[in-house]
This record gives sequence, C-alpha cells and structure tokens, in this order.
Amino acid sequence: MTKVQLKGVRKDFGAFTAIENIDLEIASGELVALLGPSGCGKTTTLRMISGLEVPSFGSILFDDKDVSEVPVQDRNVGMVFQRYALFPHMSVEKNVAFGLKVRGTPRPEIEERLQEILDVVQLNEFRHRFPAQLSGGQMQRVAIARTLITKPSVLMMDEPLANLDTKLRGEMRRFIRALQKRLGITTIFVTHDQVEAMELADRVAVIFEGHLAQYDAPDALYQRPNSIKIADFMGATNIFNAKVDASGQAQTSFTTLKLGPDEIGQGSRNASVILRSEVIDLLLTAEEAPADNTFAGVVTAREFFGATVNYSVTCGEEKIIVTEQSRRLVEIGQQVWLNIQPDRIWLIPEAA
Amino acid sequence: MKNPKPPELARHRRERLWMMLQLLPVFSVLTILFGGALVLAVLQSLGFAPWFGVNTFPDFSYFGALWGSYSFWQSLALTLYYALMATFISLVMGVLLALAMVRMFPGKSLYKYLYKLPLMIPYTVGIALAVIMLGNGGMLSRLAAFAGLISDPSEFPQILKTHYGWGIIAVYVWKQAPFVTLTIYAVLLGVGRETEEAATILGASRWQTFFQVTLPQILPGIVSSTLIIFAFNIGAFEAPFILGGGYPDTLPVVAWRYFNDADYTLQLQGMATVVSIALIASGILFTYLALYRRYERRIGRN
Repeated sequence: MTKVQLKGVRKDFGAFTAIENIDLEIASGELVALLGPSGCGKTTTLRMISGLEVPSFGSILFDDKDVSEVPVQDRNVGMVFQRYALFPHMSVEKNVAFGLKVRGTPRPEIEERLQEILDVVQLNEFRHRFPAQLSGGQMQRVAIARTLITKPSVLMMDEPLANLDTKLRGEMRRFIRALQKRLGITTIFVTHDQVEAMELADRVAVIFEGHLAQYDAPDALYQRPNSIKIADFMGATNIFNAKVDASGQAQTSFTTLKLGPDEIGQGSRNASVILRSEVIDLLLTAEEAPADNTFAGVVTAREFFGATVNYSVTCGEEKIIVTEQSRRLVEIGQQVWLNIQPDRIWLIPEAA
Repeated sequence: MKNPKPPELARHRRERLWMMLQLLPVFSVLTILFGGALVLAVLQSLGFAPWFGVNTFPDFSYFGALWGSYSFWQSLALTLYYALMATFISLVMGVLLALAMVRMFPGKSLYKYLYKLPLMIPYTVGIALAVIMLGNGGMLSRLAAFAGLISDPSEFPQILKTHYGWGIIAVYVWKQAPFVTLTIYAVLLGVGRETEEAATILGASRWQTFFQVTLPQILPGIVSSTLIIFAFNIGAFEAPFILGGGYPDTLPVVAWRYFNDADYTLQLQGMATVVSIALIASGILFTYLALYRRYERRIGRN
C-alpha cells in the first residue's frame, strides 16, 4: 500500500522533452491508467516511477518520501513489460523465483511463495516449461507472477492487454482486476487504447505531448472530457460548434438543442456540443418522438458490428453517427428522427 | 495400406537441383582440397611419401619420436598457454567493450568505427607495430627513458622474445578483442535491454544481472567467437615466429622448422607435428562444444 506522487516532473532526452512538468497523485491501492497516443511520454513516466529513468527536474514520492536517490533495486516496485521480458534461459519456476533468489530469501520460503503465486496465476502445471513454450497469455501471467512474488509496493504494467487476442483480453482484464482488488496493490499501467484504460482503471490520466491533459474516473473522462482533443481521443464522433444562450439553448447548424438544467443561466457563449452516438435515439416516425430535441435526418450509411450498428445520419449540413444495439436494421435512405435527452448533452467551452 | 507416393513435381525437382548446385562449391572445397590434404598429411606422417623415396607405411615412429621428446611437450605447453591466455583476455575485454557499446555515451558513433580498425589490419602489420612499440629500443622504452623512468632504453623490461609471450598475446588480443566485441555486440542487440531491466527491478545487483541474466543469453556468441579465435591462435605461426622467445618454439613453428630443413625427409616429421596440432586442437574444441551442449540441455535449450 503505497501512495505515489509526481511533483513537477520533467524529462529531457538531449534536446527532446518527453515530459513537460507533470503533477500526479495516485492514491494507495488505486489502479490508474496512463493513457495517451504513442510517443506522448507515458512509458517514460512509468520508467521514471520505477527508477529506470531519472527525472531531469522534479521529484517522485512514495508515501510522501522522495525516492529520487533510491536505486532501482531498492525501490521495491514491480514492472510487467509490454513484451514480458521473461528470462528465456530459465523455466517458469526459475523465472518466478528469480526476485526472491537474488534477495537471498531462504529456500523453503521461496518454495512456499512460489507454490502460492503459481496457484494464483494458475500456472502450476507449466512450472517446468520455458517461455518459448508458452502462449502470450501464459507468458503474461508468468511476468505478473514474477513481479508479485516480490510483494512490490507499486505494480507497473506497460500495455498489459495490447499483445493479447480479443478473447484472452477479457480473461486477463478480469484476472488483473480481481488480483489487484484482492491484494490492494497500487497499480499504474500504460496504454494507448482508451477502451483498455476504461475497462481496467479506477482513474485515467490522459497525457498529450508530455502534459497531463485530464485525470479523472473513466466515466467522467468519457462523458465529460475537458477538451475537444480528449473527446476525440476517447472516441467521441459527434462534436459540433454551437452558440449557447442564457436560457440554456444550444444553436447548432442543424437544430436547436435544449440543454440540461446545469447549463441554464450561464450567459451566452460559443461552445462545442458533444452528442455521444449511443445516447441518441433513432426513431422511424415523428409521432413517437418527444417534442424537445428531436430533429429529422436521412440515413446515409450503415456499419454492422454484430452486436451494434452504426448509422450515419445526415441532418442538414452535418453528419451524425448513431450507435444502436442491432435488434433491427434501418435501411439506407430512410427518413428518421433523432432524439437526445437534454442532460445527456455535454458542452466544451470554446478555448479562449 | 501403403500410401501411394505422389509423383515429384517438375518445379520441386528444379528446386532440389538448384539447392545441390548451391551446396556444391563449398562441399567440393571441403572434401577435395581440405579432406584430401588431411588424408595426405595423415598418410605422410605415417611414413607414406614415395615421392621422397620413403615408403614405410604404416610407420608410427615419427609420432613416437615426436611424442617421446621432452621438447614436444614444452612446445605444446607454450602453444596452449599463448592460445588460451590470448583467447581469455580477448574474451573478457571484448565482452566488456560490447556491454559498454550497447549503452549510450558521447562519441559512440566514432568509437563504433574506431574499435573495428584492428579487424581490417593484417596480423603482420600488428606484429610490426608490436616490434616498433614494445621492443627494446621501441617507442615505449624510449618514452620511458625520456620520462626518466629508466636511464637507457635498453634497460626497458623485455616484453618481446621471451617465453612469457606478452608480445604474441598482445598482438592476438589487439586483433581478437574487437572480433569478440563485434560478435557479442550483435548478440546483445538481439537480446535487448529489457531482461536486464526486469532483473534490476526484481532486485538483482549488477553482478547478479550479468551472471544470471545477460551471460546465459550471450553464451552462444561467446562460444562461437572463442572457438574461432582459439582455433586460430593454436595454429598461428607468424606471431610466435617473430615475437617468440626461440627454443622451445610453439608447435606450428616447430613444424615450419622441419619443413624448412635441408633434409627433406624431415618433412614427414613435420607432417606428424601438423597432424598432432590438428588432433589436439580438435580434441579441445570438441570437448568445449560438448560441455556447452550439455549446459544448453541442462537449462532446457534444444
């Protein structure tokens, strides 16, 4: 159980600045994702916390103690590398026991903890195999077991689900989540995939070009991003310019939307409205639609994903994406009405 | 029921023919030139040399005379000492350099060219450099005298032409440490830094990381590079001939003296020496490889 803090951390590689001034606080026992496009500095941040990289400026604190001078070996952190970095010349059990062996743990204790952790990751029957004889999911479990056996105070993972296929992903996700909850270990992981961040993390720190752009719970980040860039990165498709007036109405190029009660009386301004594709109702007749926030359009394209369908609906000049469970299929060219509830609309104030 | 054999496709036949054609040049060099020479050498060392008017085949007296003499064993000890010492020093220096080369440091790109320089310069040039630098009256002795460490260049400690063989070893190391570096560096690039980093995070010290994680992974490179340089060192002739301490000579120099003797029948004695070198070298290399294979099997690599 360790609280991790980054205070004014900056990292330069020669003339290139990978991280420009990041402040981040990770509560004890929390599972936090560092999310950002590749090259944004998230892996560098992780490596600085582990001690593999040294910050150019600023400090990193574990439980309010500065660890800048603590060498990697003594930080008692754990790291699961993206490509696992298993020792290819050691069997599964030797890989897992390595951390205890180099610390000089007595042999009976190593045996005991090895057995315990192999049961946790369900690799007991593979203990004599070599990494080359394992599947991707098994290798990852070895990497996790190798780290957890040393009882690290902070667990770090670099793209934990990236190299796994869809079915394994779900399995690994549940496994990591359950393990983390059971052990209550402070966990930080890096990902470029917003879905992976949302499905695993308690809180997500979005990093863009070496800056912390937003640090929030997954649902807040998804529904209430603080900039268009984050909204875009989190997969929002329907972002439109609007003029908002004091009565809480947003004037867009295709319709006037009534906003939720929070937006009333804030004065008139320019803003962007985000209409999440899955909160828009697609209706085939105007009669069944509520009077507010209903506008007409024509289906111009359809993408079928199995469980869901995406429709492109052209409303005036704009194209709006609507996601629906695929209980029905609406034909292209069909006249439809779209409805969105006022409190589901999210506004991003225009940058000054 | 027996499965019918499918007819061979014409394009498979062409591929097979092409493969044989590719194998042919090396295969013929190995069997005709090398294998033939080896057979002839063994025959000659056993007394078969009708072109000299000698044919006492099979006659083990040449080997008997050679192995029975004390000087042969002295020569063998010297040969092995120079070869092993140079191989070991080259290995340690080469691995250290390779480990440094995978890290970042200022001037790395220049250094990457610099360290390979000895690989492009012939051994004979290296030997000449050793004479100029290390010999009595050489650069080092003059510098030492100039600096006032010794009163006269001739008082400089004897480096060349002694049976300690520092000159010979220096030339071998000068040439072979870069070769080891070249090989190990390539292996290290393939291995990557991640397993070392993982070991460090797991709490391993620098030594533990090197001996338990890095070394086992670069071992194939170490084995192949030491194999090549040791095989060269045990059979090399110029360096011990020019920089060595005289009698007793190393085995290749002994063989050369027999071949160069006015009495051409001594060539058979020379052949016995050459065959002895080949036997000893292949025995050592075979044992080395067998030990390595056993290690690989023990750690489960196939």
